[in-house]
Amino acid sequence: MKLSETGEARVRGYLFVLGRSLRSFLPGDVAKDALREIESHILERVSLAGEQPDERATLERILTELGSPLRVAQAYSAEMAVDEALATGRTGAVARALWHLATTTVGGFAATLGLFVGYVAGLSMLAVAVLKPIFPGNVGFFFVNGLPHSMGALFPVPAGAEVRGGYWVIPIALALGLSILAATHRGSCRFLAWWRDRRTGQGGALVSHHSRGSTGSLSNASTPKTHS
Amino acid sequence: MTIENWREQLRRGGLDLAILSAVAEAPRYGLDIIRHLEDSTDLVITEGTIYPILARLAKDGVLRAEWVADEGPHPRKYYRLTDRGRRVLDEMLVHWDAFTEKIGRLVRAARGGRK
Repeated sequence: MKLSETGEARVRGYLFVLGRSLRSFLPGDVAKDALREIESHILERVSLAGEQPDERATLERILTELGSPLRVAQAYSAEMAVDEALATGRTGAVARALWHLATTTVGGFAATLGLFVGYVAGLSMLAVAVLKPIFPGNVGFFFVNGLPHSMGALFPVPAGAEVRGGYWVIPIALALGLSILAATHRGSCRFLAWWRDRRTGQGGALVSHHSRGSTGSLSNASTPKTHS
Repeated sequence: MTIENWREQLRRGGLDLAILSAVAEAPRYGLDIIRHLEDSTDLVITEGTIYPILARLAKDGVLRAEWVADEGPHPRKYYRLTDRGRRVLDEMLVHWDAFTEKIGRLVRAARGGRK
């Protein structure tokens, strides 16, 4: 089947959306190569479809069987970004994977927001440890009217507030900060592992013959020539 | 645990092995791998999700990808096993054989016990 201009525009639209999503978490050259491969797949399916009376229906079936651009991008995310994050545990890789999930799924956004709060809290504690020797009068435990109010750094210290705590605040802040960061990072990895298992376990990479049905059959396709 | 979830996990566990086995015979491109698995196994892969798996395997150095322009009306990306991939596949096959034998023994014993 040879695509009309309308058909080509539909394919370009699909690839445009997919490309934008892929570039948000994959390096540029990897995303470009992935896009080229998906385009090759679509063109292969189109050429194997033979002459069809209804180009639009055929093309939509091909794109449906390929999966929506978001779904394909999520599959790349699960296999590349999330897999790398889980395999290495590196903060940068985890951050990239979380960012992608946050920008593509509602659940990912909510979870990433919670995890972001955890990372900020941990870093704030470390900042307290660093700032205490520099601004001893502004960092520590704050008491208002003799009652404990908060811990951190305030510039300037508000009227009525009293700063308590000597340099012993530093080890406490360090321990708290590192503990919160470690717990949050572990939480991030567990969330990513859960997301990947859920993504690939529930109709992700695999579908059964039964659920795929007749629309999923490639039986109309001629046997591709194998490279030798 | 539902049977459907268990089947998905089972298939997923064997997917990397199935893909590596498919390209061990001859270099193949994405759609060719999908067709091959569909024809010879119960593994029907959602089309859009095989490419990320192939990309991961290539990134891990198990597969080598190569664009071939003169095979069809448009360029195709062929995957073949690397030397490392062949070693990984051999190792996977050893584990697979041991695993299926042990589980098979257990299942046969369970079936015998039910009679």
